Amino acid sequence: MVTGMLKKFEIIDHPSDIGIRLETESIEGFFEFSAWGMFSIMCDIERVKPAVKRIVKIKEREQLSLEELLITWLEKLLYIFEVKKMLFCRFRVSNIEIRNGSTFLGAEISGEKINTLKHELTVSIKAPTYHMLELVKDSNTGCWKGQIIFDV
Amino acid sequence: MVDYKVRKVNDFKWEILKDQKLGMRVPGIIYADSELLAHAEEEKTIEQVINVANLPGILRASYAMPDIHYGYGFPIGGVAALDINDGVISPGGVGFDISCGVRVLRTNLETSDLKDKLEELMYSLYGSVPKGVGSKGKIKLSKAEMDKLFTRGVNWAIKNGYGWEEDKYFTEENGCMDGANPDCVSRQAFDRGNDQVGSLGSGNHFLEIQKVSQIYDSKAANLMGLYEDQITIMIHSGSRGLGHQICGDYLKTMQRAPFADKFKLPDRQLACAPLNSSEGKRYFGAMVCAVNYAMVNRHCLAHWVRVVLESIFKKSAKNLDMGLIYDVSHNIAKIETHDVGGNSVRVCVHRKGATRAFGPQSPGIPEKYRQIGQPVIIPGDMGRYSYIMVGTEQAMRESFGSTCHGAGRVLSRAKAKKEISGSRLKQELFEKKGIIVLAQSLSGLAEEAPQAYKDVSKVVDIAHNAGLSKKVAKLEPLGVIKG
Repeated sequence: MVTGMLKKFEIIDHPSDIGIRLETESIEGFFEFSAWGMFSIMCDIERVKPAVKRIVKIKEREQLSLEELLITWLEKLLYIFEVKKMLFCRFRVSNIEIRNGSTFLGAEISGEKINTLKHELTVSIKAPTYHMLELVKDSNTGCWKGQIIFDV
Repeated sequence: MVDYKVRKVNDFKWEILKDQKLGMRVPGIIYADSELLAHAEEEKTIEQVINVANLPGILRASYAMPDIHYGYGFPIGGVAALDINDGVISPGGVGFDISCGVRVLRTNLETSDLKDKLEELMYSLYGSVPKGVGSKGKIKLSKAEMDKLFTRGVNWAIKNGYGWEEDKYFTEENGCMDGANPDCVSRQAFDRGNDQVGSLGSGNHFLEIQKVSQIYDSKAANLMGLYEDQITIMIHSGSRGLGHQICGDYLKTMQRAPFADKFKLPDRQLACAPLNSSEGKRYFGAMVCAVNYAMVNRHCLAHWVRVVLESIFKKSAKNLDMGLIYDVSHNIAKIETHDVGGNSVRVCVHRKGATRAFGPQSPGIPEKYRQIGQPVIIPGDMGRYSYIMVGTEQAMRESFGSTCHGAGRVLSRAKAKKEISGSRLKQELFEKKGIIVLAQSLSGLAEEAPQAYKDVSKVVDIAHNAGLSKKVAKLEPLGVIKG
């Protein structure tokens, strides 16, 4: 489903919305599993086939923080989901660069067109929020830990 | 753990004392009984009320309505009025679903008229109304047409053959809020919204066929054309992907604006900009586009509901007396005039999961309702009831003309999904109460189960007893369509 190693993944029991908490070995993996978690809230992701590949690029002419880039990445995937009517199940983030006043993320995602007969779409995620947003590198283990609350 | 002090004002009103150590510029006011207050404290929602009290330019108090519960940035049920000269506007004080709201249509049908037709009606509505996650509407618009919709609101829809001319007079802002600026709406927001006009969406959005089960205020009910056993139709939806994108776009803009450091707030979801800054004005211009879009969305949904009833009952919608009682938003920021310290002041009222509840004789409410106050629609849950209330003079004095907006959750979505079976719920609602529930997703249905919500009558009674709005009628569901 994704390329990075997942150390921990759990659903956060937010009173009105829903969130995910995760820990990964790499920052790329964190972005990949965040995306996987978001789509797994919206649908039964096991039923989504990686039939179509898409390249996703985020280019910003300013230096975003990793947290801001994470929100931008997830918003971009929600945009593609809504506009192209596609669900995704595989995410491979190949490149994250934040330096010299600019930001870049490159990824390849795979999925298929929404078919309501096959895919049960549970709930719409309106957006990832900045509320309780966390993304930090554990200085002891070198792993990336964090959480995201989604507005549903 | 935030240390704050609570003072009881009366059985339904509590003050969180202003504490500068917590950055509070004003006190917090919470409308709740002791049980709801305890629940809000347990959920740490009071901390969100305190965070809102940190906003620059906030006037009088940071308010929480009786359906207070934990949100992000603002609490759900949060109300804040900001000075238009030195205050800020916060996209997080409106929410992602800009102008999410409710409308109620009346009919001259009674429960006996639906006896053999409810199932047919529900399946026809289910087939006619676009719904569900990422669903698109029946209308796809060019950029030029979207710009017209943004600036003309419901007038655009009426001109294009959707709905009735008089509908707009019973829609907040007469169906068209001033200040829309399509140039402030991003291409991405346009792309997400251009094919979703007239779609219900998912989550807590719904379409219900209801019966009036109890009248509390016969004068107000008469003016609204409501009577016991009558069939009504309630629609709950918002600005769909368009509003979500606008909120996200401006949260990012405001966090990266030159003044962002000056306005560091305890929750980044409270990112804000001075109302008179370029960023503040641009957000307001885009937000109004989403407000007008949301009102058009509900207007078009109502149009298709009328078409379905015409076909089932072989009568025109006019002959079925399917007039709009009212349409009101509960996620919005509006420039309004209120009394602050004896002066009439222009303020920007943020209502996040709170409903405008203007009292009798207030400007901006339909002439027909001037003597009773603005209708307030409070949706409950799919198994119990919803309410129609009216705004009060007390709400004008105390809460910037605001009241609650719904029941508020007691079970998180994750817990509801774990504990409740969607298919069993659907069956039980039919077997025990005769309610027909049609939904795109059974697990989505479980998340919206009645037991996941507070009993809305409790919330409504507190709003009523606190004087924020007065009960007019109770509506019970007969058929429910969930997105």
